[in-house]
This record gives sequence, C-alpha cells and structure tokens, in this order.
Amino acid sequence: MGLVARSLARGTANAFDRRFKAAGAVRRQASHVFPKHHSFFWGEFALYSFAVLVLSGVYLALFFVPDTTEVVYRGPFEPAQGLYMSRAYESVLALSFEVRAGLFVRQLHHWAALVFVAAMILHMARNYFTGAFRRPRELTWLGGVALLALGIFEGYLGYSMLDDLLSGLGVRIFSGLLLSVPLVGTWLHWLVFGGEFFGDIWISRFFVAHVFLVPGLLIALIGMHVGLVWFQKHTQFPGPGAREDTVVGERAMPGFASNTVANGVCVLAVLGLMAGIFQINPVFLWGPYVPSQVSTYIQPDFYAGFLIGGLRLWPRWEIHLGAYTVPAPFWVGLVLPLVMFALLAAYPFLERFSTGDRAAHQVLQRPRDNPTRTGIGAMGLVFWGILFLSGATDVLAASFDVPFELLVWAGRIGLLVLPPLAYVVVRRICVGLQRADRDVLERGVRTGVLQARPDGVYVEVRRPPGGADRQGRPIPLEYGGARVDHRPATSPEPVGEEPR
Amino acid sequence: MSGPREPTGPELERMSRGALVDLGHELDSVRIVAQEPPRRPGDVRGERRARRRVTLLLVLSLLCAAAFAWAYLFWPTGYVPPGAPGHTANLLYTPLLGVTFFGAVGALGAAMILYVRSFYPDEVAVQHLEKGPSAERDRFTAGATLAEAGEHTGFGRRTMIRRLGLTGLGAVGILGGLVAIGGLVRNPWRQRGDAPLWTTGWKPVGDEPVFLRIATGDPKDITKVRPEDLEPDGMITVVPFRESERDDPEKVHDAEMAPDNPVMLVRLPPGTPVANPPGREDLHHGDYYAFSKICTHLGCPASLYDSQQQIFLCPCHQSEFKITEGARPIFGPAARRLPQLPITVDADGFLVARGDFPDPVGPSFWEIRRGQH
Amino acid sequence: MTRRLRHGLLVLAALVALGGAYALLVPAPQTAGAQPGQAQIDQGRALYERACISCHGANLQGAPGRGPGLVGVGDAAVYFQVSTGRMPLARAEDRGYRKVPAPEFDPDTDQGRANLAALGAYIEATGGGPEVPAETGPELIGSDVAHGGELYRLNCASCHQFTGRGGILGAGRYPPRLDVATPEQMYTAMLSGPMAMPVFGDKQLTPEEKKDIIAYVLSVRGRNQAPGGFTLGELGPTTEGLVAFVVGLVALIGVAAWIGARS
Repeated sequence: MGLVARSLARGTANAFDRRFKAAGAVRRQASHVFPKHHSFFWGEFALYSFAVLVLSGVYLALFFVPDTTEVVYRGPFEPAQGLYMSRAYESVLALSFEVRAGLFVRQLHHWAALVFVAAMILHMARNYFTGAFRRPRELTWLGGVALLALGIFEGYLGYSMLDDLLSGLGVRIFSGLLLSVPLVGTWLHWLVFGGEFFGDIWISRFFVAHVFLVPGLLIALIGMHVGLVWFQKHTQFPGPGAREDTVVGERAMPGFASNTVANGVCVLAVLGLMAGIFQINPVFLWGPYVPSQVSTYIQPDFYAGFLIGGLRLWPRWEIHLGAYTVPAPFWVGLVLPLVMFALLAAYPFLERFSTGDRAAHQVLQRPRDNPTRTGIGAMGLVFWGILFLSGATDVLAASFDVPFELLVWAGRIGLLVLPPLAYVVVRRICVGLQRADRDVLERGVRTGVLQARPDGVYVEVRRPPGGADRQGRPIPLEYGGARVDHRPATSPEPVGEEPR
Repeated sequence: MSGPREPTGPELERMSRGALVDLGHELDSVRIVAQEPPRRPGDVRGERRARRRVTLLLVLSLLCAAAFAWAYLFWPTGYVPPGAPGHTANLLYTPLLGVTFFGAVGALGAAMILYVRSFYPDEVAVQHLEKGPSAERDRFTAGATLAEAGEHTGFGRRTMIRRLGLTGLGAVGILGGLVAIGGLVRNPWRQRGDAPLWTTGWKPVGDEPVFLRIATGDPKDITKVRPEDLEPDGMITVVPFRESERDDPEKVHDAEMAPDNPVMLVRLPPGTPVANPPGREDLHHGDYYAFSKICTHLGCPASLYDSQQQIFLCPCHQSEFKITEGARPIFGPAARRLPQLPITVDADGFLVARGDFPDPVGPSFWEIRRGQH
Repeated sequence: MTRRLRHGLLVLAALVALGGAYALLVPAPQTAGAQPGQAQIDQGRALYERACISCHGANLQGAPGRGPGLVGVGDAAVYFQVSTGRMPLARAEDRGYRKVPAPEFDPDTDQGRANLAALGAYIEATGGGPEVPAETGPELIGSDVAHGGELYRLNCASCHQFTGRGGILGAGRYPPRLDVATPEQMYTAMLSGPMAMPVFGDKQLTPEEKKDIIAYVLSVRGRNQAPGGFTLGELGPTTEGLVAFVVGLVALIGVAAWIGARS
C-alpha cells in the first residue's frame, strides 16, 4: 500500500470512528473466532444463491410484463408465430430470443432458485443431524424452517407467472387446492384470483408477491438468521479444545472472510455454468397456457415435488358432511405440507421435551451419537423422498418400464412401511458405528495382521490408541465425541487380540 | 469488567503491533493456540509454485472474461429457425456465455481459495464464551429501569384508560387488516344459481342452439361437428359455439379459452358395451359421448384417451376414468365422474348441446353438492 | 434373427419367382394414389400369407387370442405398423413397440416400399379403410409450424409430451417417443389410430392440419429448438431437479470441501 493510500485509509477510519465509535466493535468482529469445517459453508450456498437471485431477478423484472392481456405473437420465434398468448408469456419469449444474454440470465435465475432450495435442504439436514438446533439456537432453526417454506412458495410463484402451459397447469392445481379448503375455499379462491379461475388479475398478484412481499420477508429472515449465527457464535464439532464454553477455529479476519468470499464467487461460477450449458424450463417449447391443452410429464420444480407426489398417492376420499363436501386434495395438498412444516419447526422443542435436555449446547453431536434423532431424521427424509419420487411416477414408469399403477401402490404402501423401517435400520447402524468407535478406543485398531502366540493360538494384532500397559493390555480411552481414526496408524505398542 | 488494566495513551503509542494484537485478543477472550506458516520456512520452490498457480488462474480468469465480453458483444444473437444458416451458431450462444462466465468467475474463485491455502498462516484460535444470560447487574438494572418506566406511564393504575387504549390499538390493527383484505373479497355466489361455479359456456341463452365446434386455437376456423366427422375410436376436443358469434373472433376465442368449456367428444366403436350410470342414460347420442375435459380432481385436462381400454387418463395426477361406465373414476385421486354434456343432433345434422352439464365442472369444493342435479 | 433372415431370403426368392418384369408393371408402387394392379394385390397376398396370416387369419378376420381382425383398418394402418417394425411381431408375447423393421419392409429401401405398398394394397382391396396419402416425405410437412404446435398440444401432447418425448398409459403401456417417426408414419398413425391411440379422421384434423402437426414435431424434436444448452431430455423439472442436486450441489460441496480441507 502506498503512503497516500495508507494515510487516506487512516483518515477515513478516524473520521468513521469519531462519528460512530466503532473501533471496539470492529476489533471484536475481526477477531471473532469461527469454527473450521467444510460443512459450515453449506448454508452459504443458499445465501449466495439468494444474492444471485436478487440481482438476476431485478434484471429480469426490467423485461417481464406481468399482464394477462392476450396478444397475438408476432416475434421471431417461429413455433409461436400467430398464437394467442398473454403479454407475460410474450415478454418471456422476447426476453429469451430478443435480449442479448436474456436467456442466460433467465436460466441463471432459475438454476439459482433450484440450488437455493436444494442448498437449504442440505444445510438443514446438516443442522438437524448434528443437533445444531438445540438450545440456544431454536430461533435460528425456526427462521430456517420459515425460509425453506417461503423459498418453496417464492419459487412456485416465480415460475408460475410466466403463464406457459406447464406452469399454467400448476396454477390450475393451486386454484383447485384453494377451492378444496372446507368452509371458505370458494371465498379464498375468489379472494386470490378475483373470480373464477383464471381471471385477469392473477399474474400481477403473483408478480407483486414474487418480487416484493416474499423477497422482503426472505431478506428480513435471512438477516435475522445470519445475525443470530454470527452473534450467538457458530457451533463446532467435538475436537481438541472444543468445549461448551469455547469456540475453536480461525479468526474472521483474514481466514474466514477470505474463504467465505471465495465460496460466494464459486457459487456464482457454478450457477453461471449451469445457466449456460443446461437448458432449464424452456417455456418457449411448452407453449402458452390454454385450458384445454396438456402434456405428459407434468411436474413442478423439484422443491414442490413432494406436494404433487402426495396428490398422486392420496386416495379419493371425499368426505361428505350433509350437503357439504371436504374434497380429497385438501388433506394432502394443504394439511400434509402444513403438518410436515409444523413438525419440522417443532422438532427442537419435541426433542427437548422428550429427552429433558435443557442445557445450552455449543458442541455438535455426530449423527451416530444420537441414534434416535438420526433415526427420526432418516424417517422424515424417507417419507419426503417417497413423496418426492411419487411426484415423478410417470417419468419413472416410462424410464424403467413399470406400470405407473404399480408405482402408485408402491408409494402408498412404502409411505407407511419404509419410514419406520428406515428408523430401525438407521438407528441400528448408528449404534453399530458407536460400538466400532469404542472398540477402537478400548482395544485398538485392527491391523489385519495375524500373529502366532507361543501357545499356538493365532491372534490379530491391534494398535490401541492409548497404548498398552506393562502386561500388554490396551489402555482404554474415553470416547470424546470426535471422529475416531480406524486406520492402523503408527500408534504405540501393538497388542495381540484374544480370539473370541 | 474484570479485564486487564486500561493502558494509557502514551503506553499504547509505545506498544508494538504484536503487543497491541495480544491486548485486543485479551479483551475479546481470544487465544491463538497454534499458528503455522503454510509451508516450511525457506521452501522457496513451494512458494514459487504456489505463486505460479495463482497467477495462472488469475490470467485464465481474465482471458475468459475477455472471451465472455467478446461473445456477449459480437456473437450473433436473436432467433434463427432450424435449417436456416447460422442456426447452430445461434444454439451455441448461451452455452458459450456459460462456459466463458464459468471460466472467468470460477478461475477467480479457485485462485482465491488457492491463495488462502498457499499463503495464509494456518491458525487455531480459541475464543472463550460467556455462557448463559446477561450479568446479574445488567438483569437487575434493566428490570428496574423498565419497571420504573412502566410506573411512570401510570397505565397500571388507570385501568379504564389502559383497556380503552389497548382496544383502540386493536381496532386500528383490525381496520388495517380489513382494508388490506376487504377490497380483495369477492362473493363467489353473487349470481346465485348462475354463479360461475355452477355454469359453463355450454349453458343455453334463450333458444339459440349451442353447437360443438372443434377447438383449433384459430377463431376464424369454425368447424361445427357432425356425427360423421368422427371415426370410431376418434376423440376430438370441442368448445361451445353460437351462430350469433360467428363474426366475432374475440367471442369465439373466449369460448375456447374459458377453463370450464373444453369437452372431449368420443365416438365409441359400434357395439361397445356401455353401462351408463343412473342419471346419465340419455346424455349421449348413439355412440357419441361428450365429457368435460377438466379433471374433477384438480382441473387438469384429463385428456389422455386410451382407445383400447376406453379410459381417460389425467396426466397431472393420473386419475383414470372409465368412459364406458359414465366416466367413473377407477384409479387415482379423482373422486367424481367427469361431468357429461347432454348432446343430440339438430335438423341440419350438426351435434348440439341439449343444455349445460348437469354436474359442476372441475375440482370439488365445499358447496359442490348443492349444485348437483 | 434367423427367422427374420429366413423371411428375407424367402422374399428374395419370391421376387425372383415373380420375375423382374414385375417392376416394369408397377412403376411407382409406393404411391397409393396409383390404381393398385392385380399383380400388386397378389404380391401383397403372398406377403400377407407368409408374414401375417398366422395371427390375423386367412380373410383378415383375426384369430382369437392372437391378433385382431384387419377388415377396415386400411393400408394406412398397414404402413404404420409394418414400416415402424411393430408388425410382424418378433415373438407372440411382444407388446408391439417400435423396432427395426424387417428388411423386406424397410421403408428406406425401394424393395421395402414396394412390399409395404403391395401388402397395403391387398389389405385395402380386401377390407378397405383409411388410405396412405399420395404425398410422401417433404410433401407431408406443412408450412404453419405454430398452428401445428397449437393442434399438437390440443390433440397429441397429452400422450406424446410437449416435444414428442412420449409418456405413459395405464397397465404398463407407453405412447411412443416421436424422435425417429417419419412424416409418413406420423400421418398414417393419425389416420389409423394404432393401439391405444385414437383415430384422427380427415374431418377431425384436415390433411393440412395433420401436415402442420408433422411440421411442428419435426421442428421441435432433437436439439432443434434448444438455445439454452443440453436439453436434459426435455422431460421438464424432473431432470432439472436431478441436475440441481447432482451437478450443482455436488460441485458446491466439492468447493466447500476444498476450502475446508486441511492443507
């Protein structure tokens, strides 16, 4: 740094500090210790994808026309020339074919949306399986659950308002779900659509929700979420020095800050690559929405896949209460997702209630060290996964030559049978892994080397990490929650193992 | 604070940077327990290799950025139809942008990661946390301050005013909600018996016959269906048409775009055994059956016509409807039959609707049974 | 395989037996517009009796449990079924999906076309039904691609998907993908309504409309309208979601692992 630059920087810093008295805070934040683990960068994928979403979304909004008015297409795209379409869809065609890099930015936005939600799921799974949601971080967890729900809703709104045939069917399904609400369904539908499906106001309403309301909420929640993570300090895995009243890692400046910026740049790079080489949601091939038209392979974006899966699996159980009807889709289209998200949100409190663990936790648990939680998580993931796969019964049926009716029944039965099975199996695996860890610590790492004892018995040579005492017996070590190395390393005294 | 003794200004001036950093860490309860250089001291080759790699990545990034700018500015864009010259080049535009973008940004990111790994010291810092709630002192003083503030408001004593005030606040909130929601509320049943959920475009107006017109998307292409237009095993999507609208393309188009209107007209092969359910014995015309195309589950067009098994399949959630049993749902989530349009043939031999659907069209809702005749 | 080979040899033998003069009698046998000569019908009968009769019966009346009757199916059905290799079945339990056509009925060879026309002429003469159009190849490709697309989404996409990537039917049957279907095959399929497909007579979809639909399918299939990179099968959000996880997330997890790895 040159002399001028240095004195300029010093002058600015001084001026700033005279006004805001920020030196103490700056020093505290710069030497804020952040634990080092690669999985602690996963949540940032979602954060940076969201940044890409906001920036690309602002650009797209300069071209998108949220208008249901019908026009006849006169643009360059041959397979649509002369067709009736909404101005919304027309503006998307124009963006895709007549704006330099318009298609690239549109695809960037859509891929960022998919990665945003996918990264949230990944991040949430990491937090769940390591117990990061425990006291004092319940609010962070609740914020995350709300972010996931809002993110899914935001994505749905975004691809719906393009008014192509694929998303139009999704809007039709949304309309049907609104109608299915008992008592107030028809009123709710009229409130949202301003009349019968599809009306002439829904695109601008979806647009307002997609670009103002939901993003505003998302930004507020992300701010809260990240702020909580920072000021409550990040959790850490068990390891040397990691205690409930310490944070072990590297300081924010320069290590952590440089890494997180690099991570953000890489997220942008990966999204840009996907935007360029993988065609996503080619609405120009789907055609404009017409109520009498439909295609095979009707799916929502993956994050709504569990909803359509539920809709495909749920039997036709219409409930009649006198002259009134509770339509079947209500239970699975609205109640089921609400229950799933409610359980997700309530999990930290349910776990605290059932285990009685009210302590504050700074140190994470390895999934194997809490088999019940890990089992329940596996149960939830399998439940979600079956719903998700059932949302693609048609693609699966055609790809693997299985009648789709069979897949529907497999999904129905699987949804009841497989989650408990997953619980039992995963729990068993966790207990087994625990035993293997303790076996290494107490009796030593298996070396695979056989040794003949003087009395002719062959024993396997073990290397106890704690060494051996004078009689050659391994000195057992206490399991501390950290990863145990199962590879035969150069630990002290090998010890012969009695055959069992 | 039980921190170190506050040093004086001149003392601070005299302290070295290292000492100042240590002091700061002491104030922030941070200890650096290990700090290792990224490589052995004197490892000149390692240093040089790392520097070369980072430089290469940065150069690559700049080259890709230049390529991106070049492609962005000069590569031919705009739509080119298949077969026309420049079609392939056109298809490559977006992938080219993606690859060069990835090169520019990805190489930059990789350079950053590599730089940190090659040149930053590898440190392990431990920060001590103050667990639990705030200090007793803060908690007691905060509580007392707030209690005193509450006392000063006097709301505790003036219960009447407090209640009225809170009620007023609540009223303002409710008013806000009312204004926010109230304007959006519409009455779905304003037209009573003619409410949109009970009627479709097939509902006759006066005595004017409602013809079955083949849906084509082109409002100038008006083909009214005669029975002989359909082959056995044939299926065609039809929408309502009135002669008075023939010269009004907008109305013709609207009839095609109305979500309740699409109807699948099927001609079963002669001799197909049919079991019409009660109430639907006479809605068909010979082998001609007209069913709403709108699925009773969630409203997708249930239009996958399987002419071998005489089944309609909805591609959205895979409900199956048996055509020869009055479009009874036989598989999947749909609970109601597809509504059937009563049809006949007029004096000129055209198929016409004999009235609106007897059943409500589309997904089920709370009040639906009131509309079933 | 050997059976197909045997068939091929038999056809060759039959042709030799009929004599080279036959070719002179029927200059353009593949155009159904030409009056079918008796010789062509006879040749068709010979083909029928060898390749089809065991399932479809001596007088096209069908054989219970083996094959449907063919009265009234027309040569359009013959052309579609045989030129796409669906018929004759390789094995009795086949479900009649597209396969490489028997060499004797390969529409890419003169001889195959002649045989297809002869077989069609025999079926047409005996049972009647929808006829193969007189036009071929480019003549069957309409000019209004966009209108074809509209009609395609109205009538065809519900089984064959937006861009002809196929779909599903009940009981483990599948509407085929349209990747390799020729204009003639698409046209005759619409006319004859093979298998579970409905019939689209010329009054439901006029010949012009059929040609527009064909033009649309040809224009959108393959990579023709894929300006955004790899199409991911054009299966919609299913494969896109897969890529988001398998490419996007995995790449990012790799990045994070690199950042977080101990040096």
